[in-house]
Amino acid sequence: MKKNIFLVLLLIISLFISAQSVDEKKYLLKTTTNTYGISTIDLLDPYLSPLVYNGLGIRYDHDAIRFLSTENKKISLQNNIKFLGGITFNPTNTASMTYIGMNYQLGTNFHFQPIKRFRLRAGGFWDFDLGSKMISRNINNPVNIDLATNLNLSGVANYNLTFCKRELGLQLAVQTPILGCMFVPLAGASYYEMFDLWNLSKTTHFSSLHNKRAINGTFSVDVPFNTYTLHVGMRYQGLKYKANDMVFERNELSLLIGTRFDMITFAGRKIKAPKNFISTNE
Amino acid sequence: MDESPTFSNTNQGNFDALRTIIDKKYCYLDYKNINWDSISNVYQKQVSDTLSEFAFFDIMGKMLGELKDGHVNLYSSFDRSRYWKWYTDYPANFSEELIKSSRYLGDNYRIAGGLRYARIANDSVGYIYYESFSSGFSDSNMRYVMTYFKDCKGLIIDVRDNGGGDISNSEQLASYFFTEETVTGYMSHKMGAGHSDFSELVEIKTPAHKTLQWQRPVVVLTNRMSYSATNDFVNRMKIAPNVIIVGDKTGGGGGLPLSSELPNGWLVRFSASPMFNSNKQHTEWGIDPDLQDSIKKSDEIKGIDTIIERGIKEIKNKP
Repeated sequence: MKKNIFLVLLLIISLFISAQSVDEKKYLLKTTTNTYGISTIDLLDPYLSPLVYNGLGIRYDHDAIRFLSTENKKISLQNNIKFLGGITFNPTNTASMTYIGMNYQLGTNFHFQPIKRFRLRAGGFWDFDLGSKMISRNINNPVNIDLATNLNLSGVANYNLTFCKRELGLQLAVQTPILGCMFVPLAGASYYEMFDLWNLSKTTHFSSLHNKRAINGTFSVDVPFNTYTLHVGMRYQGLKYKANDMVFERNELSLLIGTRFDMITFAGRKIKAPKNFISTNE
Repeated sequence: MDESPTFSNTNQGNFDALRTIIDKKYCYLDYKNINWDSISNVYQKQVSDTLSEFAFFDIMGKMLGELKDGHVNLYSSFDRSRYWKWYTDYPANFSEELIKSSRYLGDNYRIAGGLRYARIANDSVGYIYYESFSSGFSDSNMRYVMTYFKDCKGLIIDVRDNGGGDISNSEQLASYFFTEETVTGYMSHKMGAGHSDFSELVEIKTPAHKTLQWQRPVVVLTNRMSYSATNDFVNRMKIAPNVIIVGDKTGGGGGLPLSSELPNGWLVRFSASPMFNSNKQHTEWGIDPDLQDSIKKSDEIKGIDTIIERGIKEIKNKP
């Protein structure tokens, strides 16, 4: 009798221990990519100069994407922020134009997997573009601001390729703005008139394919190593827009290198880390 | 989305680029009755692609000189073309040596930002010499200046030989002498390629400074070298309460300049936005003083600046 009671107790205890060690809860991972790049840049800003300026720049991009919920692996939420700084020169090297810019995007993607190893996603993004171009030797028009917001269409294709025993992630991403709003000054108006006298008439313009065309195409490869995944690629960005009888251009070709990793966040009272995740914050 | 036509980097191409920039963007062709087509055709005949850089620059500079505008310059790596007759054709009416004499600034004048100041006429008049509107000053600078002059009957602001600078400094300096926000001028800009394609006039207001106001008599001294932002300052002060303008007519420069480039990398500066006084009249040719006066040779020999003395006299005559 005592032996039977002991066996029953042992069985109950072992069941209880088993329940505690199996964690079946699902977690959403955020795939984050940090990329650094070197770019060749062409700039045409007729408000500052009728000449095309060419030069080099450096960029940093941070991209983060995760599914909307653990139950729905069709829709993801993505945000990214990009910074670009460069210095360009006119064809005779008598003047320079410096450029500093940033772009923030937020959007969603719809995921498809038509065949094994091949994934597609199509998305829509809102973005905010802010930049500044300066030719310091200009008089009363040394600076022009790039300020725009757009709705963009995006398409991404991913393919997993086995090569030399590594699973390489190939990605081709293309994005284009379809409509938005932009700031473009009048050719003859000084910034004194616009921002001291606050005469901003005819500086805000609706943009769509009739006056703004851009393509942002990136080809990249993810190469997994032991403890990190290397992300390398090339990007071409072409932007052309017209307002106030002026045509502006910004073209950029970049070589990119960075890392890609999946991360998860535990914080607060509801998203606690499982006991087998060790934190210094405990 | 076709881009504007580009010009080749040849002497002819650069000439065509300059001709087009002035034709489409310079704001005074009609006001000054300049037949730009005719002028450029005359100079076109002198241009050939065999000309040296220097000779070509001189031809382009002379062509721009026909606009008779101190705000029009061609900049290369070796020279800057200019039109200076707006002051070289007239008496100077200013001597740095005179204002630095012990009768005026002396050796111990005070410096606050871009302002040099001292008490003159037995400490009865405050005197400020402001050399350039490119040099700024703060409200704190001005507070100390006004405190230093608190026992003075009036103030002289000398902007002779001040060739201009930052127009926002002009607004700031004028603001200390207005008791309420006042429309002191107007401005417009080119809207299109036509010589008379201008925007509607935009008001230029001079605010009344919220905490610093000088309400005693003020005399502003001017000469032909008072140009550009100085011209703008004089235009504002012309309708300020308790202010009179003494000296010679200002040099003008009522067009706010912008810049562009030629294919060879030379920079061209040109008047793009005309500015008007409160009666909507152009200020390009200068502003007449309320009291015309000149430095007399006989006074200069004695170390006396006739124009400053006139300013002192006008202040002392005020009740």
